Amino acid sequence: MDVSEEKRNRDSSNYDSVDNPTVDWQVSGSNPVSAPIDSYTQENLISACPSSCSPSQMMDSFGQTLWYDPTSVQQAVGYGGGFNVQSSNGGNASSSSSFRGNIDRSLEMGWNLPNLLPPKGNNGLFLPNVSSYLPPSMAQFPADSGFIERAARFSLFSGGNFSDMVNQPLGNPESIGLFLQGGGTRQGQCQSNELNVGGGEPHNDACTVVKEPNVRSSEQSKLNVPGSGNVSEDTQSSGGNGQKGGETSSKGFDTRKRKRNGQNSEAAQSHRSQQSEEEPENNGDKKRNKEQSPNSPGNKTNSGKQQGKQSSDPPKDGYIHVRAQRGQATNSHSLAERVRREKISERMKFLQDLVPGCNKVTGKAVMLDEIINYVQSLQRQVEFLSMKLATVNPQMDFNLEGLLAKDALQLRAGSSSTTPFPQNMSMAYPPLPHGFMQQTLSSIGRTISSPLSPINGGFKRQETTGWEGDLQNVIHINYGAGDVTPDPQAAATASLPAANMKVEP
Amino acid sequence: MASADKTINTDVPEKDVFAIHFLQSLSNLRIQNLFNSPDTTNYRVRKIKKAAYVSMARAAGGTSRLWSRALLRRAAKGNNKIVRFPRRKRKVTWKISSKRRRSDQRAPVVEDAAERLRNLVPGGGGMETSKLMEETAHYIKCLSMQVKVMQCLVDGLSPK
Repeated sequence: MDVSEEKRNRDSSNYDSVDNPTVDWQVSGSNPVSAPIDSYTQENLISACPSSCSPSQMMDSFGQTLWYDPTSVQQAVGYGGGFNVQSSNGGNASSSSSFRGNIDRSLEMGWNLPNLLPPKGNNGLFLPNVSSYLPPSMAQFPADSGFIERAARFSLFSGGNFSDMVNQPLGNPESIGLFLQGGGTRQGQCQSNELNVGGGEPHNDACTVVKEPNVRSSEQSKLNVPGSGNVSEDTQSSGGNGQKGGETSSKGFDTRKRKRNGQNSEAAQSHRSQQSEEEPENNGDKKRNKEQSPNSPGNKTNSGKQQGKQSSDPPKDGYIHVRAQRGQATNSHSLAERVRREKISERMKFLQDLVPGCNKVTGKAVMLDEIINYVQSLQRQVEFLSMKLATVNPQMDFNLEGLLAKDALQLRAGSSSTTPFPQNMSMAYPPLPHGFMQQTLSSIGRTISSPLSPINGGFKRQETTGWEGDLQNVIHINYGAGDVTPDPQAAATASLPAANMKVEP
Repeated sequence: MASADKTINTDVPEKDVFAIHFLQSLSNLRIQNLFNSPDTTNYRVRKIKKAAYVSMARAAGGTSRLWSRALLRRAAKGNNKIVRFPRRKRKVTWKISSKRRRSDQRAPVVEDAAERLRNLVPGGGGMETSKLMEETAHYIKCLSMQVKVMQCLVDGLSPK
């Protein structure tokens, strides 16, 4: 599309012309346009967060090259505020200066956006770029209808859906703060969502945050609402496609968006869709899925498969139901991806029941950590107990019968009665011949006491004698199960020649 | 999708089976007469630990489980024992590489954890993430069962 081409040109030109006072910006500028915005944003946001370079300078330079309207830059600053939020994870006081710094960053990050924004030259153009990066802050800002539309058209989408935000970014520090808060709370959710982009976390946050601010600052920005909704998968794919050029995808999005907008044919809807596009992929995914499905059934699947999955909306699950939004070619893949994700989540729920104390934990990441810790602890326990066994019984002369009896007694206490006992075992072991059992029983009864005492001091005479009656019963059962190994004790073994038999499972 | 519970089967045998197997392996250790002059406790400890794992793998299902199979194979390598495994229908090696490449793209959050799990669970290296989860569930059950058995044993043998 023309827009995309223009955007590309713009990007290159922007980079060239903008003399970023800080190296960071330059570096970021040199990033390939096609690079996924997510990774880009992450690095840039976090590393170059600096408000060291005078934001105004940057903004001006950017403004000249990128933005048609200096005011739009201002608006973009608002987005920048969002960035701050993301990186610092904190609500900035959302001072304009901070916004500016953010804007710079967002500009870098939103390089995708500039491509998208054609020189239609309105505020809207700029904003979408920036907005892509700053979902949280953006969402708050009310957007001009015209701006929004424009932004919607051109916004790339790599992740931000900020078109709406652009309108009054600076003017609503509170809204930003709200966003920040929302972002903070949503982070958990975002993280749990699997973002396409490896670094998608900020996007995630943005995504989720976008949803929240919509609710909160509904009065502030009508556009916010959209986040959730109609947005197109475009944003999703654009944002998420780190691998592919976001631009091409965004281009596609634009067309789709327009179509969708046409379908909606409502100003609000269009705004929403625009906003949604801007929103980070995750949000877009969620929102789009929900709202767009009724509107545009023909949406194709997102490039979810590339990105990872975008789960459905219920925040608690951290899953986003992805709707096919693009490309028939990706349909089967993304569906398969979705199925795979569901499988994994299904198993995770299963594991959740196994691991004690995992019921309250929500979110895949934390739960997986818990599972890993649990497995490690179990393995350590095995090691510890084996050490204990080695020290408790230095001669390693385990009296099989005695141990079996003891264990069987203990086990039996906990488990079912003796009657089913042999049945359990017999399933695994072939039953010993009856004659053998009789023989072993008698021999065991005779010899059990003698080996027991020398084995370890723990065994007392009284115990053994008292056991004998029980022991015979137990051993009978045990031997019936078939697990008979020769008693290491010479005395015991001598009396049980037939006990050499071993039953292998 | 089919209901999860039907497709995932993580039944483990009763504790008795584990106990029997473990005691059996311990007796084998004794028979080997390696502990007549056990100077190094570490050596004994390692042997016991290995016996515990092997017996657990046998009790849990022998070669019908991926993790137990890998465990037994690992143990057999050291002892130069010949362990017979039923022929597997599909080759795992190819799937490893292909699935790995794709899984890297999928939900990095989950995949990172899956990598760590693979290091912990025996035989996890060749499994896809969803299969890994199944094996982990079964492995956890068996491990906890083995721990209970060993605890009983220690309690029984410790001097009163």
